[in-house]
Amino acid sequence: MNIPSYIVLSRLASQSRVTDVIANNIANADTPGYRASQALFASKLARADGAVARTAALMTQDRATWRNTAQGAMQATGNPLDLALSGDGFFLMETPRGERLTRAGRFTLSAQRTLVDMSGNPVIGDRGRIVVPEDIRSITIAGDGTVRGDGNSLGRLRVVNVADPQALIAEGSRLFAAGDQQLDPVRTPGVVQGSIEGSNVQPVAETVRMMAELREFQFAAQFIEREGERISATVDRLLRRR
Amino acid sequence: MRSLAIASTGMLAQQTNVEVISNNIANMSTTAYKRRRAEFQDLIYQNLRRVGSQSFQDGSVLPSGVQIGLGVQTAAIYRIGGQGNLQQTENRLDLAIRGNGYFPVLLPSGETAYTRAGTFALSPGGVIVTADGFVVQPGITIPPAARDITINAAGEVIAKIDGQAQPQNVGQIQTATFANEGGLEAIGNNLLLATPASGLAALAAPGDPGHGQIQQGFVETSNVNVVQEITSLITAQRAYEMNSKVITASDEMLSTLSRMR
Repeated sequence: MNIPSYIVLSRLASQSRVTDVIANNIANADTPGYRASQALFASKLARADGAVARTAALMTQDRATWRNTAQGAMQATGNPLDLALSGDGFFLMETPRGERLTRAGRFTLSAQRTLVDMSGNPVIGDRGRIVVPEDIRSITIAGDGTVRGDGNSLGRLRVVNVADPQALIAEGSRLFAAGDQQLDPVRTPGVVQGSIEGSNVQPVAETVRMMAELREFQFAAQFIEREGERISATVDRLLRRR
Repeated sequence: MRSLAIASTGMLAQQTNVEVISNNIANMSTTAYKRRRAEFQDLIYQNLRRVGSQSFQDGSVLPSGVQIGLGVQTAAIYRIGGQGNLQQTENRLDLAIRGNGYFPVLLPSGETAYTRAGTFALSPGGVIVTADGFVVQPGITIPPAARDITINAAGEVIAKIDGQAQPQNVGQIQTATFANEGGLEAIGNNLLLATPASGLAALAAPGDPGHGQIQQGFVETSNVNVVQEITSLITAQRAYEMNSKVITASDEMLSTLSRMR
C-alpha cells in the first residue's frame, strides 16, 4: 500500500551508489588514462511479472555505469617512453590474465630491456614484445606507433579499438579487458611521444554533481519522512472518527 | 556507503603526492638530485551488474554494466632523469656527467653504489673519494708530488708531477649505465643501488657510446623546477580538499538517514 515511499526508497538506494561512482572519479582525478564513469538510471515498472500495472508507479534503478570516452588533457613530460594517443584506441598490453587495453602510456624499460608499463606488463607490438638493444642511444616513436632505436625499426606498437567502448570491463591498474569483443587495429593511431594523457575527470562537474546528489538525497529522505507522517495522521483521523 | 572509503583512498594518495613534492622542494639544491613524481592507478572494480550478462530470458544482453571502482592507489614513485644544470665551482675534483652515467662508489659494506653527485675530494692517502669518504671506483691514487690534476672528457686523470716534464696518466674514471635507470634504489646520501629491475651496471669510459662525458670543475645541480613543483602542490592540495568534500557529503547523507523518523 505504501507505494510512494517505496518509489522514493528505490531512489535513495541507487543514489548512494551514485555517490560511490562520483567519489571514485574524484579519487582518480590524477590517474593517467582514467575514464570518468557516470551512473545511468532507468525506470522499472513496479510489477515486472507481466501483469499490467494498474498504477503508473515506476521504480528507479541504476541500470548502468556509463564511461566518458572523451580525451583527457595531455601533459608534456619530455620522457621519451611516455606515450599518449591523440585519437581513439588503446595500447595493447600482455598481462598474466591475457591481453588488456590501456590509455595510460607511461612505459619504461625492464631489466630485460623490454618496453613495459608501471606494473611490469610488456607492451605488445606487431612482432610481439618490443625489445630495445643495449647499444641504442635514442628511441623515437612515430605517430603510427613505429618504435625506432637509432633510426632502425624495433617494431610497431599495436593500437587497437573495440566496437563498443562502453562494454569494456575496467580492471583497475589502468587496464581494461575487452571481454568477447574483437580487437580492431586503428589505422592512424596518432601516438604522441613525450606526453601522457591525464584523466578526463572534470573536478568542477563532479563536485557540482555530488552536491546535487546530496540535496536530492536529503529531499528524498524528507519525502519519506513526510509520507510517514501523512499516513500516521490519516490513521489517527480514521481511528478518531470511529 | 563505499564513498567514504573511496574518498579516503583519494586523500591518502594526495597525501603521498604532497610528500613527494615536499621532498623535491627540500632537495632543490641537493647536488644531482633527480626529482620524483608520484603516479596513481585505479583500484579494483566491483561488478554489480556484469557487462554482457543477460537481462531477460530472451537473450537480451546488457550493453554496459554497473561497475563501481573502489578508489585509487599509488602505482609508483619514479625519478625523472632529466639532466640538471651544470654549475661551475672551479674545484678541480668536482666532476659533472653530461649525459648518461653514474660514478661507481665503494661502500664500507663492500657493496657498490652509484651516484651522479661528483663532489669529490682526496683522502689522506691521496685516493679520490666522495664527500662521505667512499672510494670512487676503481680507486685512483694521486701521487703526493702531483701539482696539477686534469680530468678530461673521457675520464682520464692526468697529473703534472714535480720533476717530470710530461704529465702522467694516473688513472681512468669509469661511469656505469643501466638498462632501466628507474629501477635503481635510492638509499639517501645521493647514492643509488643496482636492483634486479635496473639490470646490471655496464661500466665503460665516459664518452663511449651510451655514456656521457665528464666536465671537470662543474657539479650537476638538481633538476627540480620550483615553479612546476609549486603548481603540483596547489593541484594536490585542491584534490585533497575535493576528496574531503566527498567525505563531508557522504557523512551528511548518512546523518540525513539517521535523522529520519
